[in-house]
Amino acid sequence: MRYNPVIAKELKVKMRGWKSPALVTIYLGFLGLIVFFYFLTNDQISRYSSYSFNPRTAVNIYNMLAIAQFMLILLITPALTGGAISGERERQTLDLLLCTNLPTFSIVFGKLISSIAHVLLLIVASFPILGIVFIFGGIGLVDVLLLFAFYIVTAFMVGSVGLFYSSIFKKSSIAMVMTYVTLLGFVIGTVVIMYVWTFFTMRFGGNPETNPALILIFMAPNPFFGLASMATWSSGYIDIFNIFYELKRIFSDKTAGWIFTRPWLLNITFNVLLSGVLIWFTSWKLKPVKRKKKKKAGYQS
Amino acid sequence: MLQITNMVKKYKKVTAVDGLSMKIDKGHIYGFVGANGAGKTTTMKIVAGLLKATSGKVYVNGIDIQADPGGVKKQIGYMPDFFGVYDDLRVDEYMDFYAGVYGIPADKRKKVCDDLVELVNLKDKMDAYVDSLSRGMKQRLCLARSLIHNPQLLILDEPASGLDPRARAEIKEILKELRDMGKTILISSHILPELSQLCTSIGIINAGKMVINGTVDEIMQRVSVNKVLIVKVNGEMQPAVSFLKEQPVLCNVTVSNDQISADFNGDDEQLARILAQMVERKIPVISFREAEKNLESIFMNLTVGGMKDAV
Repeated sequence: MRYNPVIAKELKVKMRGWKSPALVTIYLGFLGLIVFFYFLTNDQISRYSSYSFNPRTAVNIYNMLAIAQFMLILLITPALTGGAISGERERQTLDLLLCTNLPTFSIVFGKLISSIAHVLLLIVASFPILGIVFIFGGIGLVDVLLLFAFYIVTAFMVGSVGLFYSSIFKKSSIAMVMTYVTLLGFVIGTVVIMYVWTFFTMRFGGNPETNPALILIFMAPNPFFGLASMATWSSGYIDIFNIFYELKRIFSDKTAGWIFTRPWLLNITFNVLLSGVLIWFTSWKLKPVKRKKKKKAGYQS
Repeated sequence: MLQITNMVKKYKKVTAVDGLSMKIDKGHIYGFVGANGAGKTTTMKIVAGLLKATSGKVYVNGIDIQADPGGVKKQIGYMPDFFGVYDDLRVDEYMDFYAGVYGIPADKRKKVCDDLVELVNLKDKMDAYVDSLSRGMKQRLCLARSLIHNPQLLILDEPASGLDPRARAEIKEILKELRDMGKTILISSHILPELSQLCTSIGIINAGKMVINGTVDEIMQRVSVNKVLIVKVNGEMQPAVSFLKEQPVLCNVTVSNDQISADFNGDDEQLARILAQMVERKIPVISFREAEKNLESIFMNLTVGGMKDAV
């Protein structure tokens, strides 16, 4: 693999100073507090508790941690990538990179990978906390690894969106806000669209449940759809995701295709495709001199 | 080394560079002079491959920038009119990063960086954070960065801007050293006396058009600039000022710093006659001379209203 100086420099700079250790500490502290309070409120750590341990608690705490960690990733990644390109512009170092022969793809990819590496560090550092659930059983190692893979793909997508806006807007703050707005669109906008479609389908006497493929398409960009479908399909039911439980019920009636039993694959596919398109566009956008395709010989107006 | 032919750069309705042509021979230092917004930076950015010209041709060492931008970038070291430094890096890390960016093999990077840092006299600052360097040091570090891939053509946009006289002198010495190493340098600056000392050729640009270019001496001869007469008298200056104002070949008579200056539009004979008449009238003249014609006066003459008369 070719040496990417942008990754090497970014990792060096990001890990320097107090910010990274502070971020990891706060992140783990937050997850630790969730576990602590969950056990506390469920009488699992009281010395006077008369309840025996309920294995369901382990699955619930796993699901809760999965959601909390997922939300943290969605909140942190835009902050790490939103200023990646615009920050170079603000520091006036972008031109210095663009006047070299380093491909713009290497710049964009380097920025993305270094940001994802930061998120990866947070995910790996949280492993011991998630590992608490192994004490009680109910969750397999494959489930956890699958969840981590899902986190990374989602972080990759969010990072790509951040970089895309970072290349368009000159100010990092605007790029970050636009990334959060886009994520809100994916999370809330998709649900709203699905409900509007359901409302009108029912209004005109139709049954939305007869068209689950369309529901899948509406919900494919929703990162929580991916997460919830993965959690509900693998480890059980999460209370706050009633909507996804409903979807599971609808899809389970269908035998039309394997995708209905694994909707998170659709979300992952969407994330990978969107990331690819955005990375390509960001690289193209950064090129200071864009070459036009040469007209074929003989074709002259 | 660099040849620009009829280059035009338009931003929507604004024409930043308008049919510019220029040529720099190998080993020359070319001073690019122009007021703010004249089109210097745009021209330099086009040559550095950061902007695309609307029309025209740019060749660097015989390579067409449009046909082979990558090949041209290998030949060029660009130093913009801002520092562009990463504050979180040390000097050695900063240089190592750009050495990596320019594809210098890992085993050669340290030597290349050490040599360049030594060239710009920052060897003792190797472990210092870039953030802690003075303005002059940062500028020298940027110069070292632009040399990292051993380019043949250096494009330096206002390298002495905002520097104190000592820092300017240091940059000037480094540029002379680079000239002796055979580098071709395109340099823009507002500090005209320094350019005239350093450059082999000068080009003056105004409103995106090349007004004049050539060697400093050639330009001095080609441009007809009004002569300025400087007179110093001993004691009361009012009689001398009154007398000079009466002369039809003199105008804009002003007094500053204990001397009288006036624009003179005549020949040497008329100048001698004025001096003789002042002596006859017993005006105590202690100095009577024509002000030296310099690059600054030429620049002012060509860019403020005098453009139409030039060349």
